Amino acid sequence: MADQVLNVENLSIDIPLSGDILHAVDGISISVNKGETLCIVGESGCGKSLTSLAIMDLLPQKAIRTVDKLELNGTSIANHSDKQMSDIRGSKIGMIFQEPMTSLNPSFTVENQMVETLARHRNIRGKEAKKLAVEMLEKVGISPAKQRLKQYPHQLSGGLRQRVMIAMTLLCEPELIIADEPTTALDVTIQAQILELLARLQTDFNTGLILITHDLGVVAKIADRVAVMYAGQIVEEGSVYEIFDNPSHPYTRGLLSCIPVPGKIKRGEHLGSIPGMVPSLIGDFTECRFSGRWEESSDKDDEKIANLVSLEGIENAFLVHGTTDHIVRFCCDSCLKKSKSKISKGVN
Amino acid sequence: MTEIMIDAKNIVKDFKISKGLFRGKENLRAVDGVSLQVMRGEILAIVGESGCGKTTLAKILLGLLQQDSGSVELCGSKIEQIPRLELAKMVQPIFQDPYSSLNPRKSIGSIITLPMRIQGEKNSDVWMKKALQIMDLVGLPSRMFDQYPNQLSGGQRQRVAIARALINSPKIVICDEPTSALDVSVQSQILNLLNDLREELNLTYVIISHNLAVVEHMASRVAVMYFGEKVEESETDQLFSNPQHSYTKMLLSSILSPDPRQRIKKN
Repeated sequence: MADQVLNVENLSIDIPLSGDILHAVDGISISVNKGETLCIVGESGCGKSLTSLAIMDLLPQKAIRTVDKLELNGTSIANHSDKQMSDIRGSKIGMIFQEPMTSLNPSFTVENQMVETLARHRNIRGKEAKKLAVEMLEKVGISPAKQRLKQYPHQLSGGLRQRVMIAMTLLCEPELIIADEPTTALDVTIQAQILELLARLQTDFNTGLILITHDLGVVAKIADRVAVMYAGQIVEEGSVYEIFDNPSHPYTRGLLSCIPVPGKIKRGEHLGSIPGMVPSLIGDFTECRFSGRWEESSDKDDEKIANLVSLEGIENAFLVHGTTDHIVRFCCDSCLKKSKSKISKGVN
Repeated sequence: MTEIMIDAKNIVKDFKISKGLFRGKENLRAVDGVSLQVMRGEILAIVGESGCGKTTLAKILLGLLQQDSGSVELCGSKIEQIPRLELAKMVQPIFQDPYSSLNPRKSIGSIITLPMRIQGEKNSDVWMKKALQIMDLVGLPSRMFDQYPNQLSGGQRQRVAIARALINSPKIVICDEPTSALDVSVQSQILNLLNDLREELNLTYVIISHNLAVVEHMASRVAVMYFGEKVEESETDQLFSNPQHSYTKMLLSSILSPDPRQRIKKN
């Protein structure tokens, strides 16, 4: 595809521990197009943040990354040197992290930090750099931009700091932005503003966006496509409407039933829950990743059973209702059996 | 059901903020004339943005901070006149972060039984029995009695915090952001547990949260705080269907509902 910004195939991350190996991410593939938002959702420890770090080659040193394909705009960056990657980070891939206080340098003004970015990646200095910085701050809704440039990060509120981070990220007009929980540390009213801002700027700049979050409300608000991660694997992937309207993996259904929705569940009534705990990812897997986490299914669940068409080439992966943009993947045969899905052998 | 458990009138709390070495102190009014009444068996939620004084208010209700003016009565007696041990039996907190609210060097059993030991219970058989009882109630397996907090997941740690809060059968539990550090699947388990325990033990909750969906699900009444003041208080349904204050309206409009049809329109 011509407008594919990022293509990752079969990415695995192993972290050697004393005497054993932690399989943090286990063979995931994702792709993002221009102007598209992919949300990766999952619970803590499912490997979503490591995935984003792996794309930028920022993993902790002892972590081992193996990947079949890692392409940015059609060029492989899998074997890039540290220097080459450092040219790409910031200029072609922008990053926004959760806590803007720790990702901005407290001892430099906003201006210093923004101008430095421009000098490093675009070789723009002096007055022109300052002009660009002011323009960008205005674009992210900071006024008066000129005064804010002179301030230090501690003089800004959390929402303003995150706006500065976004402005810095956009200075080099990256092709892909990776945002790891960008609104988790912010108040709800600010969160809504920042999400609107991200969505608007992304459309204006036609950037690909990977947004990592654990909040399904954020996903529903901003995503075009959603990948649900569980224990190092993507269990379900599809358009935002498919995922919320036809969740086909029991884990996705469980997650959706857990969140209280005003008006949907009566006060005091039990929320849905996923029994058991996330399995340890240390060592080789012998049993099912979901063992002990299956709700005893009741009869009324029957209507939710998905019609699956098996997908060639990938084990236990299926297209849901034959739509090409909705894939569900089970970790093993017993999982598949327990989900009681109807399987039809179809062509790819 | 009309017994008043918490009666707070006109609470004011100031903090002195140092402006610099020789520049004197500045006054910061964290809580500005807030009055609250909570009835037995009720769940009152306090919402507001960070820095609006909700945690300060909670600390005052717990007796951990002294208000500068105004009065707090718990179960009919003035909070200053209740001896410390009595107060601890009456009202207990559950904090946000179960990673920092449990002592990492103490075993789960010793964390849960500490309030009983402080209250002067000397018989270790009684501790043991009561602790296992309460662990069963909050859904912790008894084998965890001798384990340490680092061996537990976030949800299990929050259950330990709840067990510790409940072991002396308090009447009021003040939950300060009880689920905001937890994953959604764990959050739903803890919310279900809090609801069950309230019915079983006839508890009164004050829940502080910024998650309006959680508030809507749990609370019978909601108080909205803004810059230290209570700007609105009403029954949950009424607040959500007919908000009066402009800040409440803004809060409600920023709820992210898990419905892709309300997403930010693109193209």
